[in-house]
Amino acid sequence: MPRYYSESQILALVDDLTAPRLKAFVRARIVTPLSTADGPAYRETDLARLQLLCDLADIHELPEDSLPLVMSLIDQLNTARGDMRALMQAVAAEPDEVRGRIRTVIRHMRIVTVETGQGG
Amino acid sequence: MAGDPYEALGVAKTASDAEIKKAYRKIAKSDHPDLNPDPSATARFKAASAAYDLLKDAEQRRRFDAGEIDAQGQERPQRHSYREHAEAAGNPYARSYGFDGDPDLSGVFSDLFGRRGGRGGFSGFQQEEFSDPRDFHVRGQDYRFNLEIDFMTAANGGKTRITLPDGGDLGVTIPKGVRDGQTIRLKGKGGKGIGGGGPGDAYLTVSIAPHPEFTRDGNDVFLTLPISIDEAILGGKVPVPTIDGPVNLTIPKGASSGRKLRLRGRGINGGDQHVELKVVMPAKPDEALEAFMEEWRKDHGYDPRAGTKAGG
Repeated sequence: MPRYYSESQILALVDDLTAPRLKAFVRARIVTPLSTADGPAYRETDLARLQLLCDLADIHELPEDSLPLVMSLIDQLNTARGDMRALMQAVAAEPDEVRGRIRTVIRHMRIVTVETGQGG
Repeated sequence: MAGDPYEALGVAKTASDAEIKKAYRKIAKSDHPDLNPDPSATARFKAASAAYDLLKDAEQRRRFDAGEIDAQGQERPQRHSYREHAEAAGNPYARSYGFDGDPDLSGVFSDLFGRRGGRGGFSGFQQEEFSDPRDFHVRGQDYRFNLEIDFMTAANGGKTRITLPDGGDLGVTIPKGVRDGQTIRLKGKGGKGIGGGGPGDAYLTVSIAPHPEFTRDGNDVFLTLPISIDEAILGGKVPVPTIDGPVNLTIPKGASSGRKLRLRGRGINGGDQHVELKVVMPAKPDEALEAFMEEWRKDHGYDPRAGTKAGG
């Protein structure tokens, strides 16, 4: 069963997270907690996301107005990585012959082989 | 962290608080596990953050230096790496990364991975196409929300209000029988458009809070019903809760725990409710019951484990 955190719990758990900062993240929809009858509920994903956002702001010193862009890129990368992992697992379960055909196509498209000319 | 926290941060034992903080930030900057996929970077980052957690607290640092505590055991609960959440299936922040609009590959891509929100969190680049830049019409941004509702509201439908990030609120009608993970579209409830562009839509992804007694699979509802020993032996009608209120269920004579009964049409939208019986003994068997069982056992004994493979 998923675990949820209230706003005060999340403020206590995430280093460097302040109430105004959390409010700004929610307003900018960088973090979208669940709406429940008892107010916003934060998931484990939100907890980790907020930790990362604080790290980006404090350690990498990113200005707050850059955070939506950076998080968007990180989300795209993570989604792509998750998809890629699923695709790799699907390919890995295929027979050698199918994997071979896929490999041939990918090598053809993605790997450039430089022919070293003899003489000339 | 088993090693020396000063070594993990690469600072001298005499380092000032500022130097320690600087050293930690330097490592975090290059080795953050959300930004650097190298496993050795993750290991360095973990060691450095554990060391920093210990040394940033003056009192803890003093006690460590005095040998009163060791570095072990000072580790805080696992830091929350975002990446493992973000790569997992069902991550609410999953977003499309460029194949949706691809003329050749969008079909095969959505066939494999489905469609995702592209404009959920970041209002930036993906706007609708417009041909003449002087004639600037942009449809408003789509908003995405996650909404948790209780089991009964999902089963029977209902109304709720959600608070929007900008402080306003929005009335939402929950359709009867909505499923966990389904998305409700509220047309025109997204951001304002520019020029002649209409407003965007709001999308609510529903998650259903578990119910203490009911569970569901699609439109079928499941419930475990406790019955007394006399109800189990003699049978009879007992009230059983359903999503529409209690109904009477006929317990057959001699029902065992685990026996499954079906209330046709009592689930969601014409689904069924499945009831599994659970025989519950009285809190404390009384003398009369014990005396009766002693007698009864003499010539009515039976072996309920006779057919089991593992034996009794």
